[in-house]
Amino acid sequence: MSNIAGKAYAMNVITPIRWYMTWINKLIFKTALSNPSTLKGLVTLSLIHYARWVIIPRDGFPRLDPSQPKEELNYSYMLFFSNFNGSWDQYVDSFTFAIPSGLDLFWKWNVRYPKSVPLTPFHNYIRHNQIDTAHYYNAYPMASSNDVKSAQKIKKALINFNTASADKPPEEFLNDYNKLLNDMQHHFGDMKPTPIVSLSADAVRKRYLQIPE
Amino acid sequence: MTQQLDLSDIQGNVIKAYGRYNFQKARYLFLRIDDGEKGRKFIGAITTKVTSALPWGKPGDGSAPPIPQATTNVAFTFNGLQALEIPTASQRGFPEDFIMGMAKRKDILGDDGPSDPANWDKVWKEKVHVWISINGQSIDAVKKRYDWIQEQIEASNGGVVLLTGHRGEKGEDSLPYQDASVLYDATGMPVPKEHFGYTDGIGDPVFEGQTNVAARVLGRGKLMRDGTWLPLATGEFLLGHVDEAMEYPKTAPSPWLLAHNGTFMVYRKLHENVGTFNRFLDEQSQIFDGSKEMLAAKFAGRWRDNGAPVVHAPDDVGKAEWDRRYAAADDAGKKKMLTDFTYNEDIHGAKCPFSAHLRRINPRGSLEFGVSNAYDTPGALVNRRRILRRGLPYGEVKDPARDDGNHGIIFMALNADIQRQFEFVQQQWINYANDFKEGNDKEVLLGNHDANNPGKVVLAAEPGSGKPPHFVSNIPRLVETRGGDYFFIPSITALKLIAGGIVDPT
Ligand code: HEM
Repeated sequence: MSNIAGKAYAMNVITPIRWYMTWINKLIFKTALSNPSTLKGLVTLSLIHYARWVIIPRDGFPRLDPSQPKEELNYSYMLFFSNFNGSWDQYVDSFTFAIPSGLDLFWKWNVRYPKSVPLTPFHNYIRHNQIDTAHYYNAYPMASSNDVKSAQKIKKALINFNTASADKPPEEFLNDYNKLLNDMQHHFGDMKPTPIVSLSADAVRKRYLQIPE
Repeated sequence: MTQQLDLSDIQGNVIKAYGRYNFQKARYLFLRIDDGEKGRKFIGAITTKVTSALPWGKPGDGSAPPIPQATTNVAFTFNGLQALEIPTASQRGFPEDFIMGMAKRKDILGDDGPSDPANWDKVWKEKVHVWISINGQSIDAVKKRYDWIQEQIEASNGGVVLLTGHRGEKGEDSLPYQDASVLYDATGMPVPKEHFGYTDGIGDPVFEGQTNVAARVLGRGKLMRDGTWLPLATGEFLLGHVDEAMEYPKTAPSPWLLAHNGTFMVYRKLHENVGTFNRFLDEQSQIFDGSKEMLAAKFAGRWRDNGAPVVHAPDDVGKAEWDRRYAAADDAGKKKMLTDFTYNEDIHGAKCPFSAHLRRINPRGSLEFGVSNAYDTPGALVNRRRILRRGLPYGEVKDPARDDGNHGIIFMALNADIQRQFEFVQQQWINYANDFKEGNDKEVLLGNHDANNPGKVVLAAEPGSGKPPHFVSNIPRLVETRGGDYFFIPSITALKLIAGGIVDPT
């Protein structure tokens, strides 16, 4: 069991919300989506792969099979699902400090939401409602989301460069090549294994891979 | 929010960088406590000489005690607090990083290869319980205080042992203390330099409760949305005070009096590979479009000769201009030129590279990447990662072509939360760079570069200029860890509680 795979961490948080309030949250989500500037803090936090908020109505929980009895739930729920690079603390702290009002807006109608500042009650709220990841697969454990974005940009730029400049005379080729380097200069970061996220996670990894202490 | 600190209760080294008060020499002692009762008595004796943070008066004006010849400060490892027999309930309040100690955190800190604890000074194989520092106006003043401390050790009758095993100047490896000293120029004048030749000790965070904040806060506090600077919350650097998250630090020992006005200290002996640095700089500057000094400046974020910030003096021409303005400025103007800057006009790092020591370690507002109003404040991701630096160089460079002398920095960082502040910066910003969108590129000067798989950094060119960036490749390990541990610096009240054996969290 681990919430961590390579450079990524998976976080599931599910919080109760009064069913007759969910329309407000849905409205807030809609407004945020149609007005991208409300999400620019989130987008600028480059450790985040993505974050998703979903309302699950109290009678809408999936069942594995029609024979599974329906649950009688008092609340609807808000599922927050995110994948990010780094540790839980780093992520939750970045959230609180970078976009406290955004968090408060999204969680405001959830039961017993404490507000994002001060930090400890918020930490406790998230921890209390977090569901650990039973199984987590990561196809590119060495890549952070920034690494993936950079790789895509470089690949595209190289292909274009090849098409446009491959047959140019040396002088022009060099100019184009330098321009390519300049355009891509923020995408050349090395990709190497992750800094360890926690000593306990690292111990688990080492035991699993049978790396001697 | 203004707040008055009880300076008579706080240890002096927390508030003052003694180097600024002409304390040119320092000696650090590490001790083991073999007997709780005798140990407490010893700490009680030392406490009588512990230097507080009270301001010093000018000699002769009688308003406040004058600057002493020597200062003394004390801190403990977790094992030290156990040896002094503080109650289990109090021990349990301490954070995990501090309980484990530095050596066990090596995988987080990147202390591998030559920096591995196996290669540290011998003293770190001992049970280190207590740290005592002496800062002196002269080496004689240091020695005098040292002799006095030795008398107290003697008087402890086997209760306390001074640990030996520090590497020294002449190749010896069993010294009973670590000496440190400012460096001197050829005429014997003290200079604010370290062994790679950089000017150091310019910027230290400014926080609520310090004196004369308004004059010093520019470029040193936290950056606000309107471009002004405010002092950081006291709780970032002192336990028992509200921090930037508007709460008291999460993990602090109880009772309150044990934690209040105390803080945590990271002590690290950092060896500087001076020969490798000089060779590397020479080689790299052959292929660099600019002077050797300019390249050295790009590594650090400040120019070596006078500390000019690279963001305002980005190349040789810019530096000459900066120097002219600097020469014309008055004292206050000079200070402002050294500290009051952001990276706002340099979002792409074409002036001060993302990989520069200064920018990695305190990115100021630049983690917004120029997206206007992205975060609550420009420093949202930075304000909780600040540290106070209280170090001095040690040793002498006898041969600038060699690495194997005894020279480096005794680095001491003070913060309320080692994991959140020091360790985060060391792991995420020095040895990794996802926050800077530079993948695994490590900082040039401090990164734990791997000889078998050496790293590189990219010094960005002006975007859109068509000029290629400069690649600094095959970076060797320039700085190696030679020892260290995590310490708790209690308030003077807490010292007395510990010494009296009357810590009681009930
Ligand atoms: C041998 C090792 C080191 C050398 C040679 C070195 C050198 C320097 C220099 C030349 C400066 C600029 C002067 C100034 O702004 O005060 C500086 C600033 C600084 N250094 Fe280091 N340093 C070393 C280790 C470290 C370590 C290990 C850390 C922390 C993990 C650190 C944290 C800082 C901070 C916080 C600043 C001030 C940055 C700012 O506020 O803009 N240094 N260092």
